[in-house]
Amino acid sequence: MGISCGNLHTANTMEDLDIGLMRGTLDLLILKAVSWGPRHGYAIAEWIEQVSGSVLLVGEGTLYPALHRLEKQRLVEAEWGVSENNRQAKFYRLSSDGRRRLRTGTSSWYDFVEAAGRALKATSPAPA
Amino acid sequence: MDSSSSGTPRDRRSRIFRLEDGPRRVERDVDEEIDFHIQMRTRRLVDSGLDPAAARAQALQRFGDLSAVRSECLTIDHERERAMQRANHLEDLRQDAGYAVRTLLKNKGFTAIVLLILALGIGANTAMFTLVDALLLRTLPVSHAERLVTIGDPTRTGSLSEGSPRADLASYPLYADVRAGNHSLSGLYASGRAGRLDVFIDHDSGGSVRSGTEAEHPRGRFVSGNFFSVLQLHASLGRTFAADEDLVPGDDPVVVISHDYWQRRFAGDRSAVGRTIVVNGTPLTIIGVGPAGFTGDIVGQPYDMWIPLMMQPSVMPHTEWMDDRGISWLMLMGRLKPGVSVAQARSDVAAVMKRSLVDNAKGDQIGAIERDLRDDPIRVESGARGFSYYRSAYSESLLTLMAAVALVLLIACANVANLLLARASARGREMSVRMALGAGRLRLVQQLLTESVILAVAGGALGLLVAYWGSRTLLHLAGGSSPIPLDAQIDGRVLIFTALLALITAIFFGLVPALRATRVELATALRSQGRGVAGTQGRPGKLALGKLLVIAQVALSLLLLVGTGMLVRSMQKLQNADLGMARDRLAIAEVDAQRAGYDGPRLVALIRDLVARMERVPGVTGVSYSENGIFSGTESGTTLQVEGYTARADSDTVVAYDDVGPAYFHTIGAHLMQGRDFEARDNETGPKVAVINTTAASFFFRDGDAIGRHLTVDSTTWEIVGVVADVEEQGVREGPQRRVYFPMVQMERQPGRFKLEIHTNGDPSRIVVPVRRALQAADPSLVVLSVDPLNHLIGDSISRDRMVAQVVTFFGALALVLAALGLYGVMAYATVRRTSEFGLRMALGAQPGDVTRLMLREALILTIGGVVIGLPVAIMATRLLAGQLYEVAVLDVPSIVLAIIVLSISAAAAGLLPAIRAARVPPLEALRVE
Repeated sequence: MGISCGNLHTANTMEDLDIGLMRGTLDLLILKAVSWGPRHGYAIAEWIEQVSGSVLLVGEGTLYPALHRLEKQRLVEAEWGVSENNRQAKFYRLSSDGRRRLRTGTSSWYDFVEAAGRALKATSPAPA
Repeated sequence: MDSSSSGTPRDRRSRIFRLEDGPRRVERDVDEEIDFHIQMRTRRLVDSGLDPAAARAQALQRFGDLSAVRSECLTIDHERERAMQRANHLEDLRQDAGYAVRTLLKNKGFTAIVLLILALGIGANTAMFTLVDALLLRTLPVSHAERLVTIGDPTRTGSLSEGSPRADLASYPLYADVRAGNHSLSGLYASGRAGRLDVFIDHDSGGSVRSGTEAEHPRGRFVSGNFFSVLQLHASLGRTFAADEDLVPGDDPVVVISHDYWQRRFAGDRSAVGRTIVVNGTPLTIIGVGPAGFTGDIVGQPYDMWIPLMMQPSVMPHTEWMDDRGISWLMLMGRLKPGVSVAQARSDVAAVMKRSLVDNAKGDQIGAIERDLRDDPIRVESGARGFSYYRSAYSESLLTLMAAVALVLLIACANVANLLLARASARGREMSVRMALGAGRLRLVQQLLTESVILAVAGGALGLLVAYWGSRTLLHLAGGSSPIPLDAQIDGRVLIFTALLALITAIFFGLVPALRATRVELATALRSQGRGVAGTQGRPGKLALGKLLVIAQVALSLLLLVGTGMLVRSMQKLQNADLGMARDRLAIAEVDAQRAGYDGPRLVALIRDLVARMERVPGVTGVSYSENGIFSGTESGTTLQVEGYTARADSDTVVAYDDVGPAYFHTIGAHLMQGRDFEARDNETGPKVAVINTTAASFFFRDGDAIGRHLTVDSTTWEIVGVVADVEEQGVREGPQRRVYFPMVQMERQPGRFKLEIHTNGDPSRIVVPVRRALQAADPSLVVLSVDPLNHLIGDSISRDRMVAQVVTFFGALALVLAALGLYGVMAYATVRRTSEFGLRMALGAQPGDVTRLMLREALILTIGGVVIGLPVAIMATRLLAGQLYEVAVLDVPSIVLAIIVLSISAAAAGLLPAIRAARVPPLEALRVE
């Protein structure tokens, strides 16, 4: 993932960013997290924290509304199952719609970052 | 990869049961999910060395705002849940509909019969509703119609009364008084009949008629200049009457035509406005076209043009209707001022009207006027639905027919319910299996009802076709020779009515069979293998319900048949009533000589000339003439003093009268009881004589001879020279009236419009054309209004009764067929069900005849049950027909007996086929079925 630097200060700065951008990114990460097979919410949270260094999850709880919204949009499917420690847990898996969204979402995310990066690296007000 | 993500759901069935967990499931799921997360995190932190309490605190802290997350998740999940439920319902419905259509298509015969029954039942109701709506319910297409009020009798749309002033119709001076004197109306307009108009459209504006052009006869009406402004209507082209028009007689030769007439006659040509047409010889300029869809303020009588009242003397020369308080011919309609109620307007208008009538009455009339007004208060009523003659004339007939078709629909419902019931029995196993597999009863009922609704909707759609055709047929039947021009369209209201009716029908015939079909005892149903009727067979309630439905059908049919019998018998009596004259040998010609300018002695000479010419027409054996004539719709009345008779009340001196020609009674075939007929010597110079009818003779001269006594009318005295048997002159139902006849030539003035009575030696319809030709030959400018055989006129006068009788007969027959079908169905089903019983009976020695008798007896018991229930209902209900019956008692035994006989024969016929089939089954085979 492109964003890897991680301290609390950066996270606060991230909050100022467009909430849509933030949410869109989180949705993509969730889709990615379940792209290898069904996972419950805690596992998804852990994975995102590991790969993103806690930057994208300000409070682990924010993951759940995002998950439920994806479920409502039928990008993920949920099923109750039994976890590794023998407890009832809600497992999410990628639907075919979700797989498609992950593909298109990832490529447009890269396009966006690339374009924004170019613009932010600009050194003069006039177009190159 | 994290190991925690590798867990897969082990048991998918657990999901199925979760679904049924009830309304709090969403909350529980969210709580459980969050709880799982906190516990997992706590455990991980404990593993990393924290003590449990601190670990839990930190886990909660890392989670963030728990209650906010929880409520957000719940909101999302609830929305999702609702969306899924909606989708499920739609899916259920789609599945049910698809399944129903497939099932119905598979049983084509069943579906076709049900659709036919429903189409007839619903269609008949829609057709009747179309007419009821057009005539009784719909308001005028004007804004705020509810603020309109009619003054006087709103049914006298074509009336003209000469004589003493009236309050139910207005003279022009009375209208002017009420218009100026009232305080409750923001506007008051008047409209009156224009009679037949001779209109020439293709001509130069000078008014001279181009030779060879035929006169047209559009329907026109005189209206006051504020007609359109009171109704708040605007011209769709050109303008309506201006405020300064219609103030001075003859000053404003203008006319507004209806939108419909503009389309019909001028093909919607905008240059029609500004053209001049010649109406009865008077050129009028078309100044505008009325709004689309507006055909006037009279329901059932659409108008083509509206002419200012002040043009009446010009358009109808030789008639002075504008200044004479004795000529009542105007209908009044006003618009209430804001805040004024109909009751307030009534007392205001009545006071103004009474003052006007009293102020202008001669001294001795005032008492009579006040008495009249006390007996018949001035009518001020809501005018929202406009004026209508047909409304009052036909509402009773229409409601009778509406009741008849509602009965037919009920019978149809019972019939379809029975068919569905029989089929439900056949589907008993299917239902049992589906319920055993977990389908809810409600779900199955819903599915069966979907089928009913689809049947009803399809039946309703077909019914609309039936209605379209049916309502037109009804108008044709009702109008006799000319259909009633009622605007009977299938519009939004009719569609809504039909849709609702179809839905109600579906529930009516669908619900009970659906509930029955799904009330299955699973064990019984599943245990009995193979038989189609298994699972429902042997349940006593099932067949009893079918029998109940048949009994209900028989009862309803009986009701309809008794009513039909009464109306048909009444109709026959009307058709063959002895009217006291030679109805089969008479033709009546109506002539308007006034317009051609005849008056006084010239008119008398013309009449004599016409009689002489008629007598020379081959086939004519006698000719006379009269002012009002027979079945003409016009009538005269007067008060008189009778020598030797003292009146106890004013009404005792009232008689109907007619002025007639020589040999009048001989010509029309009336029976002279005493004295003589009018003769040629009863002329202008002869002594004034009169003939009275037997009703008048026995009323005035209870104890003695009428001949030679004297009558005084308006200070002229007449000697009675004859008494004639009562003649029903104006209507079969009219009943005897006191009637006096005078020689027309002895009257002060002769009418410009009169009738010729022509007696023939053969079919009177054969002389129609020669008579018309002979009349035209006398004077081509003479207007021959009509020449008709008397029986046609009589037929037209009872066309309403004939229509009701014909339509009710049709529906009565339909009901009979439906009831017979229902009975047949039940008997056939019973036969199949009891095959083994019959086999056993025959094996034990019963003869085929015994079995047949057994079945017939059962059919007969059902019929008797229906009759026993239906008879009292029929006797009560047919009382409502009293007003429409002619010489048929309210408790009409022949009709009742006939209905029962017809029903019994139909029942026997319906039961016979299954009964014979039952007896034909070979015993062995019958026994093997079990």
